[in-house]
Amino acid sequence: MKFDLTLGLVDRPGQLIKALEPIAKNGGNIISIFHEREKTTGAYVPVSLVVDFPNVKSFEKTKNELEDMGVSVIKSEEIIEKAHITFVLIGKLDIGKIAETQIESMRIIDFEASAPTSEEACVKLNVEVPVEGAGRVISKLKKLAKEENAVLISSV
Amino acid sequence: MRALLVGFGFLGRYLIKTIYGKREELEKVDKDFKLIGVGEIDGYAYNDRGLSLERLSSIKKLSDYPQDFFKGKTSVELIEKCEADLMIEATPTNIVNGEPGLTHIEKALAKGMHVVTSNKGPMVVAFKKLTDLAKKNNCKLKYEATVAGAIPVFSLVETCLQGDKILKISGILNGTSNYILSRMYFEGTSFEMALREAQERGITEADPSYDIDGIDAASKVVILANALMNKNVKFGDVERVGIRRITPEAVSLAKKSGYAIKLIGMINETLEVAPKLIPEDHPLCVHGTLNALHFETDLAREITIIGHGAGKETVSAMMNDIISIARTRSNAN
Repeated sequence: MKFDLTLGLVDRPGQLIKALEPIAKNGGNIISIFHEREKTTGAYVPVSLVVDFPNVKSFEKTKNELEDMGVSVIKSEEIIEKAHITFVLIGKLDIGKIAETQIESMRIIDFEASAPTSEEACVKLNVEVPVEGAGRVISKLKKLAKEENAVLISSV
Repeated sequence: MRALLVGFGFLGRYLIKTIYGKREELEKVDKDFKLIGVGEIDGYAYNDRGLSLERLSSIKKLSDYPQDFFKGKTSVELIEKCEADLMIEATPTNIVNGEPGLTHIEKALAKGMHVVTSNKGPMVVAFKKLTDLAKKNNCKLKYEATVAGAIPVFSLVETCLQGDKILKISGILNGTSNYILSRMYFEGTSFEMALREAQERGITEADPSYDIDGIDAASKVVILANALMNKNVKFGDVERVGIRRITPEAVSLAKKSGYAIKLIGMINETLEVAPKLIPEDHPLCVHGTLNALHFETDLAREITIIGHGAGKETVSAMMNDIISIARTRSNAN
């Protein structure tokens, strides 16, 4: 799992090497590193990193060790990769019900409904979901469509 | 090689015509190839010295081959009576119990005949039973024509992807539903109008449910899953949604976002046939009556094959199966 880290390092030679030690020791793989010298505040230089850790535990251990060493962790958050999925739903639909349905971190980005020429209404939705949960989101939407006797057409 | 053909319908007749037209090529592999029997519902034609391919190519009913026609005799009797090396099964598909094709194939394999079938019913109903029976009797059972017509699906995987593990297969496996959805996509017509057009053009049957309710595609999903992904699944294991409820508005909304709606058969952890949104630049986005299959494998990653999924082109798959068996026999001798 990838994390976005910003460390505040004392502007002295050797500080960066020291800060990288706990990351390596805990199995972190550095994807990118950016020394933001132009954003120096007082004696501190911000360094932004994207690090791939084996699990949350290894990330938290690294963070604690950095803080114990006196390195200030200005920012630390998990990078959740998002997937965009498009759906078309056909049926007698209650859009409100879909919008209100709490499906793990699914965010409706936009939707478009067409003026129905038959009894079947039709709506297209673009949603954003975490990549790892995309399969589960599709399954839940399928279940919802089935309950509403609607046809769910998802992108592959 | 002495062969029998069971099923003298459109495909069976076109196969005979093709064998006759390509007899010189076939003789290069098997100089003694003979068709000794042809079975149909009203009787069979049989001649131990070989039937005339030229004569059979010019008739529509077996009774028009009076010198060797046995009226009222069944195809099962034909299979039991004669000593053939190969039985070609081309009777109509029945996915409920696989009959009559299932009995024909079982009888032929039990007698030690190799089998080539274009009839998917038996392969849907009894895939494992038939492949086990073929193995036990040291026979070849070839069924390339049962999925996606002329497209070399099984040959591709069995000969060219021997080191690959198939992770996922998705595809357009029914030409009629693809024709209907293509008309809706390009012309904005209603489902009903596109279906009528397909019926008028003879692309679908008077009862189109087999095509538009995904029954045909689900049958092919079962064969693909069993044959290429080592699953042991039945027709009822396929989650199935057809295309009856697709509206022009749905097609139009999808199109505005760069998608076409296609009836897709999909095999991974689950088996499914359902309408899906296919990006216009995806290799599966083929139109008209074309079929397409998209494989995801561990080594080659992605491979797509496209071609004609039904009609007379299907004899290409049957000819390849027949020649493969002839070649194996000739290499063995």
